[in-house]
Amino acid sequence: MKTERNLTSIAAAMFALNFSILAFYSLICVTTTFRICDTLGAHDFLTSVRQIPRYPWQMPVQTLSLFALLCTVSFFKIFRPIEHFPLRVVICVTEIALCAGIIVSLNFYYSGVALLVLADLVHYLRSNRMRLCFILILSLMFAFGRYEIVEQFTRCIAFSAYLSYYNPIAQSCFTSLESLMVCLNILLFVLYMILLFTGQKEENARIRKLNEQLNQANDQLRDYAVNMERMTQMRERNRLAREIHDTLGHTLTGIIMGADAGLALFDVAPEESKKRIQVVAQSARDGLTDVRRSIKALRPDALEHSSLAQALEGLVENFRLTTSAQIAYYQEAGELNLDVDEEDALYRVVQEGLTNAVRHGRADRISIRVTRTGDLVTVSIRDNGIGCGTLVEGFGLRHMRERLDMLGGTLSYGNLEQGAQDGYTGFFITVGLPIRNRKGE
Amino acid sequence: MKKWFVKRNVVALLTLMLCLCLAGCVGNQETVLTIGVYSGSYWNTPNGNCYQILDDVITLFEESHPGVKVEYVSGIPANDYSEWLAEQIMKGTEPDLYFVLPEDFDLLVSSGALAQLDEWIAGDPAFDTSAYYEPCLRSGQSKGRQYALPHESVPTIMFVNKTLLEANGIDMPDNSWTWEDFYNICERITNVSLHQYGVYGYSWLDAMYSNGASLFSEDGRSCYLAEENVLQAIQFTKRLGELNGGYSVTVRDFDVGRVAFRPLLYSEYRAYQPYPWRVKKYSAFQWDCVSMPAGPSGSNISELHTMMLGISSRTRHEELAWELCKLLSIDENVQRELYTHSHGISPLPAVAEDPELLLQIHHDIPEEIGFSPDMIHRIMSNAVVAPRFDAYSQAMIMVESAIQEAAGNQLGQSGMLIAQSEINIFLNKS
Repeated sequence: MKTERNLTSIAAAMFALNFSILAFYSLICVTTTFRICDTLGAHDFLTSVRQIPRYPWQMPVQTLSLFALLCTVSFFKIFRPIEHFPLRVVICVTEIALCAGIIVSLNFYYSGVALLVLADLVHYLRSNRMRLCFILILSLMFAFGRYEIVEQFTRCIAFSAYLSYYNPIAQSCFTSLESLMVCLNILLFVLYMILLFTGQKEENARIRKLNEQLNQANDQLRDYAVNMERMTQMRERNRLAREIHDTLGHTLTGIIMGADAGLALFDVAPEESKKRIQVVAQSARDGLTDVRRSIKALRPDALEHSSLAQALEGLVENFRLTTSAQIAYYQEAGELNLDVDEEDALYRVVQEGLTNAVRHGRADRISIRVTRTGDLVTVSIRDNGIGCGTLVEGFGLRHMRERLDMLGGTLSYGNLEQGAQDGYTGFFITVGLPIRNRKGE
Repeated sequence: MKKWFVKRNVVALLTLMLCLCLAGCVGNQETVLTIGVYSGSYWNTPNGNCYQILDDVITLFEESHPGVKVEYVSGIPANDYSEWLAEQIMKGTEPDLYFVLPEDFDLLVSSGALAQLDEWIAGDPAFDTSAYYEPCLRSGQSKGRQYALPHESVPTIMFVNKTLLEANGIDMPDNSWTWEDFYNICERITNVSLHQYGVYGYSWLDAMYSNGASLFSEDGRSCYLAEENVLQAIQFTKRLGELNGGYSVTVRDFDVGRVAFRPLLYSEYRAYQPYPWRVKKYSAFQWDCVSMPAGPSGSNISELHTMMLGISSRTRHEELAWELCKLLSIDENVQRELYTHSHGISPLPAVAEDPELLLQIHHDIPEEIGFSPDMIHRIMSNAVVAPRFDAYSQAMIMVESAIQEAAGNQLGQSGMLIAQSEINIFLNKS
């Protein structure tokens, strides 16, 4: 921040100095022109330079107004930062053009204004290639925009011709002042560059350090996530163990004890034994109910309170509301009286399919069709998304397959062919599930 | 709210400025054409109203170009005109069209102050370059391009003291006389004890021009100092000088009537020949003019001085300036009027050789006509225009010092050859 402030003050000093230099040259040329005329030296001057001078007002007016424009552009980009890259380039090119205009309108007496623009642009540009390009152009302008070099190609009057009007003392005063200001400009430029590059080095080091810290934090976070998962698993296992212990253990213990008692009494008191076995049976039934209840605790909430058909409709509706995708849902399987695990499997398939279509396929149209032929329920999900480049079975699909394998079902998926007439050209998932249909047993 | 207010103000201000500019452009419909002119005569002769021709031409021009106003600054003496013009060029306020003195022509061309006229000449069917004497037109050319048009020309001619000639029983020479005639007369006239001399102010350059020689090439790249006809001229003037027995003749000697010949500008002849001016100058003797004596390899010709008109290269009214320039240069009526107000010769043969006009000029002269149309034609058509280039004055100084040195050590042609090669090196360097 401090570096930035120093840079700004050096830039301001350079602008002020360059203004003085331009004013110096213009002033000398204009006043000398009029002094030459006043002292009847015009003819001699023309004879010695053999060139008509430009209009006296032209140099100060052109040079200083171009410089004012340059200042305006330079300050404008400080106060109104521009992110649009082409616009930034346009601004840089404008500055270079103005710089060239100033050099030409000052008859090539002074090219140090190129250094000013160079300092300004190097600070402003972030792209290295662009920066290099502009540095090259401006360095060339600085090096070759000198009167001594372009003298052969231009019809300008040398500054020394104007100075030769004055006596040697005044001449040496003017040349000293001139070289002093020109040197000061170069000095300021060098200082600016040193500050700029050391500042940038510090900035880079700071960024590198921050990056390292960020990487460390990321690693920690990853470890934390792994631990978390492990702990969750542990907790779940404990819960299941407890559940099994509380329900199955308890019931089985009761059954074993009841059965043993029944066996012992079987010969002595058959009636009593029968009663005991009835209690055992009741106890086993209660145990089964308890097991079912435990499993229910792990089911999706939607299926807990409603039928599969209703749950799917709710799911689709929910998706429509949250993702704005158009979902066509066809339930053509009639009444579905499925087992809990089958309902679970189908519900999860549809849920995963919708999520994948929207998240990975970026689809906005999805079709879901549930059909039934005999004991086979088929769910087909198709979308108009971008499909999948290389088919790698992820976590979701693997789970789906595992679930279906347990129930003897099939899973197939893949990219749809392009040019399908119904417009679904993305991804498809087809699930076939043989149902046990033991309802009403 | 505030921003909007400022924006509206800026827009209003810009509109106002635009309106003012437009009003300025529309309101200032009259075009002002400026012309740079000197007062008095460049040829050092008295003339009455020096602006009369210009005023008449301006009236004529303004009548034929409605909406155009021609202006000039009066009261700049011919002596100060070069400096004045240079000042105006320095300040960027030079006139659109200006008179170009012969000695300024090269400076104005090389500095780029004069516009090239070749395109205008080529694009103007009414403009015929053959209407001019060729040397007059050539005066306004540099490196084959036309930069100025001739306005008035003055050749050098030889003044003759008739009284002195008659007193020595010598006939007035005719217009086809030669160096030998000239030398013989001088020899007969010169009598150092009587303080009586042949010629004053006849330079080796005068002799060189009449011997068909030129000192420099047209492009100013080579010097011909050691050429035979140049050396003849130098030798001839040296012989003439030797007649005076070491005495150097002064202008006073001529004015009081002790010298027979003096080369002078034709304008002096025109100015002082008629009454009442002839009483004022050279009244101590009867005088007349003849053309310059011809050298062995030349003819009776001399150097031509031409006043020209040029258009500023920075003018915004180039076409109007060209029209006015043409009017002053090639219009026969204007050129005819020139004869009543100035003392030069028109660059147009049609005017300069008009017998009626010549008769009118010589009306006041009691003697027989000295210059017939034929004579004028011969002088004007063959006159020499000295080449001018950047290094001309420096090269001339080198030539003069070489001639003086050669006269001192009797080196002759070999000395001149050395000097010539030195000057050539200088010319090619500059």
